Amino acid sequence: MTQPLPKLTAILNSKAPYSSTAGKDALDIALIFGSFEQPTSLFFQGDGVWQLSQGQDGTIISVKDYLKTFAAFEFYDLENIYVCQQSLIQRGLTADFHIEQVQVLAQKEFAEKLAIHHTVLRF
Amino acid sequence: MTTLHIVRQSAFTSDDFAQCLQVLRNNDVIVFIDDGCYNLHHSLINTIDSAAEIQLKVIEKHAKARAVTIDETQYSVINMSNLVELTLTTNRVITWQ
Repeated sequence: MTQPLPKLTAILNSKAPYSSTAGKDALDIALIFGSFEQPTSLFFQGDGVWQLSQGQDGTIISVKDYLKTFAAFEFYDLENIYVCQQSLIQRGLTADFHIEQVQVLAQKEFAEKLAIHHTVLRF
Repeated sequence: MTTLHIVRQSAFTSDDFAQCLQVLRNNDVIVFIDDGCYNLHHSLINTIDSAAEIQLKVIEKHAKARAVTIDETQYSVINMSNLVELTLTTNRVITWQ
């Protein structure tokens, strides 16, 4: 019996860091899926793109800085990281991220990439 | 792969619905539920490409409770059990809230 194609999971981030736990929750789920070797991709849309900006420091506002854990992505095989270009432009952001391997996609490609995933968990 | 988009927020207060439209694909289904019913008369509705054959549905009780009028030529009126059925007849579900 041939090995069935693994289900692709997408984690869609839409909230900014710090003011809600949405980003931290999404990160926890991503690492769990990664540690069980489930093929998982991370998507950042809307205010979610703020999570990737370079130079953030949650400790200044005495918030535990979960963003630093993004550096562990490659150890969890989380290599597919996509950002909505339109969301960056709307917020006057450049592709200056605190992690590597981020693919900035125009809206059409962003939608197509999301569409190949079997499950989408939005935070 | 068709996607069922469950929209629960008003586009007048959050851009969840706008983000949903950004990833919409042909033959997807959108169900407006709870405060999502306020989107029935939002200008974003006009940006949906008719050629994409997107099915627009609304939970009747949720719209009626909010005195949101339903143009049944544009939206099909459903109830909660129809919504459950839709989760089986589409390939996946994304909730926009």
